[in-house]
Amino acid sequence: MNTFAASMDRFRFGPRQVARLGIVLGILAFFFALPPIEARAYVVPLLVGLLGAACGIWAVTRGVGRIAWGAVTVGVLGIVLGVLATRSSGTHLHIVVSWGALVASTLVWATPLTFAAIGGMFSERSGVVNIGLEGMMLSGAFFGVLGADKFNSWAMGILVAAVAGGCFALLHAFFAIQLRADQIVGGTAINFLALGVTGYFFIQVYGDVGSPGNLPRIPNVNIPGLKHVTFLGDAFGQLNLMVWLSFVLLIVAHVVMFKTPIGLRIRAVGEHPRAAETVGISVYLIRYASVTLSGVLAALGGAYLAVGFVGSFNENMTAGRGFIALAALIFGNWRPFGAFAAALLFGASTALSFRLATYSDSAAVLFQALPYVLTLIAVAGVIGRSVPPASVGRPYSKQ
Amino acid sequence: MARPPRSALESPATVAAASDTPVLELRGITKRFPGVLANDHVDLDLRRGEVHALLGENGAGKSTLMNILYGLYRPDEGEILLNGKPAEFTSPHGAIAAGIGMVHQHFMLIPVMTVAENIVLASEPRRNGVLLDTAAAERRVRELAEQFSFHIDPHARVQDITVGQQQRVEILKALYRRADILILDEPTAVLTPQEAVELFEILRRLVADGMSVIFISHKLNEVLDIADRITVLRRGRKIDTIPREGATEAGLARMMVGREVLFRVDKQATTPGGRLLQVDDLHVRDERGLETVRGVSFDVRAGEIVAIAGVDGNGQTQLIDAITGLQKPDSGHVVVAGEDLTGGSAHSFLEHGVGHIPEDRHRRGLVLEFTLAENLVLHDYAKEPYATRGFLHPKRIVEAARGLLKEFDVRGGTPETRASALSGGNQQKVVVAREVARDPKVLIAAQPTRGLDVGAIEFVHRRLVEERNEGRAVLLVSLELDEVLSLADRILVIYEGQIVGQYDPSVSEEELGIAMTGGAREAVA
Repeated sequence: MNTFAASMDRFRFGPRQVARLGIVLGILAFFFALPPIEARAYVVPLLVGLLGAACGIWAVTRGVGRIAWGAVTVGVLGIVLGVLATRSSGTHLHIVVSWGALVASTLVWATPLTFAAIGGMFSERSGVVNIGLEGMMLSGAFFGVLGADKFNSWAMGILVAAVAGGCFALLHAFFAIQLRADQIVGGTAINFLALGVTGYFFIQVYGDVGSPGNLPRIPNVNIPGLKHVTFLGDAFGQLNLMVWLSFVLLIVAHVVMFKTPIGLRIRAVGEHPRAAETVGISVYLIRYASVTLSGVLAALGGAYLAVGFVGSFNENMTAGRGFIALAALIFGNWRPFGAFAAALLFGASTALSFRLATYSDSAAVLFQALPYVLTLIAVAGVIGRSVPPASVGRPYSKQ
Repeated sequence: MARPPRSALESPATVAAASDTPVLELRGITKRFPGVLANDHVDLDLRRGEVHALLGENGAGKSTLMNILYGLYRPDEGEILLNGKPAEFTSPHGAIAAGIGMVHQHFMLIPVMTVAENIVLASEPRRNGVLLDTAAAERRVRELAEQFSFHIDPHARVQDITVGQQQRVEILKALYRRADILILDEPTAVLTPQEAVELFEILRRLVADGMSVIFISHKLNEVLDIADRITVLRRGRKIDTIPREGATEAGLARMMVGREVLFRVDKQATTPGGRLLQVDDLHVRDERGLETVRGVSFDVRAGEIVAIAGVDGNGQTQLIDAITGLQKPDSGHVVVAGEDLTGGSAHSFLEHGVGHIPEDRHRRGLVLEFTLAENLVLHDYAKEPYATRGFLHPKRIVEAARGLLKEFDVRGGTPETRASALSGGNQQKVVVAREVARDPKVLIAAQPTRGLDVGAIEFVHRRLVEERNEGRAVLLVSLELDEVLSLADRILVIYEGQIVGQYDPSVSEEELGIAMTGGAREAVA
C-alpha cells in the first residue's frame, strides 16, 4: 500500500510542480520574443516572465527551496532577455537565432565534450579521477592529424588518436592505481606532458608550415531526404560522422554502465572497492580498463575537433575543453545522458557566443567566458547536488 | 534456484558427531606483519553442521586468521584443508568457489545499490549473454530469502535498510554463492539485542540445513549461547578448543586474557560529598529539531557514580552534548561545582573541570591521524608546561605522554605512534588517560566500554571506580545493564527524553529492563 501512496504522491500537483512550471514560463518569456513567434511588444515577455517568477515566489513561501528560487531567477532572466530581444532589430535577431543552424552548431561544439565526458565517466565511476582528460584529448587531436596525414586516411587518424589517448591514459592509470599517486597531481602532469609532447612533435614534423591543408577529413553524413525540410534539414542534414557516433556512444555507454554486469562491477569498484574485491572482482583490472577507455574516448573527441571539424592541428588547440568535459560530467551527475545534456548546454553557449558578435564584438568575447562561468556554477553544485562515486580519487591497496 | 543437497537427511547433531573428516581444517597457520606475529601456528578444525566460535580479545589474531582463510591474506606458513584435501586461496575468488562465505565485521555492501545488485555482484544472471538480468536477480534473491524465512526487499537500496537487514544481505550473498562454510566476524557488534536474537535464529536454521559456521566474537555470553565448540586465541596463539558443555564465562575469560577477570568491580561504600554537577529542567533538540531531552533534572555528588540507563536513542546523546557544552540547550540549567555554565562552549566546560569520555572514540575521542602524544595534549596543548608564548614543547609533550601510557597500560604504541594504529581497547585507554589525568571534578563517561573486550572493560571499570573513590562526580551513560548494575551508586532510567525512575544498584535487571522500555513511566508520574 505504501508504494501506491508514494506513486500518488508523485503525481500530486504541489508547490514543487508549480516551481517547475515557473521555470518553463520563464523560458517561454524569452522564447516568445524570438523567431519564429517573434512578439514585438515588450509586454508579452514581461507578463509571461512575471507569471513564472510569481510561481517561483509562491513555491518559496510553501517551503520549496532551490528549485523555487531557480524559477524566480529564470523568470527574471526571461523578462530581461525577452525585452532585450523585442527592442533589437529584426534582422539581427534572425542572424543570431536561426534555430536549425544553432542546433547544428551546438552539436558541433558539444561533440568533443560528449566524447571526453563519457570517457571521464568510465574513469570516475571506477574510482579514478581523470583530470588528464584535457591532455588525452589534445594528444588525440595531434595524433589524429598525424595519423590521417601519414596514412592518408581519416580512419587511420582516428585509430592512431585512440591508441595515443589510450597510452596517455595507461600512464595515468599506472601512477594512480599501481603507484597510488595523488590522482589530481598525476592528471595535471598528464596534461602538461601531452602539451609538451604534442607541441614538440608538431614542430618536429610540421615545422613552421603547420599541418597540411589537404588533410583527409572525417566526412559529413548527408541525409538527402532531409535537406529541404525546414529546421530539421539545417540541424541534422549534414552533421559530421563523429557527431552521429557520439549519439551511438551515448546509448552504448548508458547500456554498458547501467544495464550490464560489467557496468555494475565498474560502479561497485568506484563505490566500495574492498566490497568488490571480497566478491572476487579484480579492482586493479577494472580500474586499468576503465581509465584506458576514458583516454581512448577523450582522444576521439580531440580527433573529431582536429580531423573532423577544424581540419588542422595547432598547439594547445583543445584550450581547456577537457576540463569543461569534466565539468559536464559532474554537471550531469556522472551519467551519460546527464553529461550529454550538460555538453549541449556548454556547446550552445559557445555557438551563441560566435553569433552574438553581430551585436557587439566585445560583448561576444565576454560571452565566450560563459561556458567557464557555467562550469564554476556546476562544480559548486548550485543546480542540484551531484553525488560522486564514493571512492573516487582514493587509491586502493589490496591489504 | 535449487541449492546443492547438503546431507539434508541427517540431523545436525548426528552429522556433527559422526563425520570424521572436518569440512575445513587449518594446520599451523602463521602470519607475520611488520613487527607483529599475528598468527602463530594456529590449528583449527570445523565439523559439518556445527557453530564453531573463535574467541579472543581485540588484536588476538581472529580476523587475520579468517582473512587468510578467505584468501585476502597469504599465510607465511601452514596449510588449509577442505574436506581433507589441501587448498590454497590466492584471492577471495578461490575461497568463494570453494564454498566459503564471509560476513565481514564492516559490511562489504555498496550503499547506493539495491539489495539484489549487492547480492549478485560478480556472479550476475544475464540476459542475451551480455545484459544484466535485474528481474531474474531480484527473483532469485526473493526465493533465497523465502527459503530461509528472511524478510527483505530485493529492490530496496542498502542505504535505506536497517543494519540488521544489511547483515542478512551479507548472509544472502554467501548463500547465493552456494557457500557451505560461513564465517561471521563479530556479527553482533553492530546489532541491537533483538536483532542479535534474530541472527541466532537464522544461524540455527542454517546449521540445521547442513551449513558449518565459524563465529568470531569477544562476547562470552553469546559464544556460550550459540557455539557447539569454542576455540580461544590469545596474542596470535591458539590456547585450546573446548566443547560448549561445561564451559563457563569465567573459564573462557581466563583463557582469553590469561589471568582471572573480575566481572564485578570491588567497590567500597562511600559517603557522597557536595553536588558537583546539577542539571535542572534541561530541554535539548537534536539536529532534526526534535526535542529529544524533555525536562531532565538530576545531580551528581562528589564521590558517587550515577548511571543513566536506557535503550539507545532516548536522548542520551543530546543530554551528554548539552552537559559538555557541545550543544546549547533550549532551556534549563547546567551547574558545575556551583557555577552556572549553561550554554557555554565546550572549552569553558573543560576549563571548569568537566572531563568527557565520548561515546564515539573515533569521531570525537581521538584525532586518529595524530600521534598518541598529540592526542593526549588535545586539551592542554596551549598551557604550561606544554607550551610557552604560543610555542609547543614537543619533548615535554612526549615525556608526559610516556608517563600516561605507562600508567594507563596502553599497549601497542609509543608516544609517536598514530592513534589509528592501536586496537579499540587501547585507543579507549588513551581517551580515559587524557580525561582522567586533567583531574576533573566531574567525569562524564558515555558508553566507555563499547566494543571493548573483557580485559579492557575491566580496566576502564576499575579506573572509573578509582575516580569515584578520589571524590570526583562520575556520570556514566550506558546501554549495558551489567555495566550499570556493577558500577553505579544510583541508577537513573531515561526513556523518551525524560528520567522515568531512580533506582538503587540492588534493583533487578528485569525491573530496570521494564523501566527502560517505558513500563515505569506511569508508576513514577
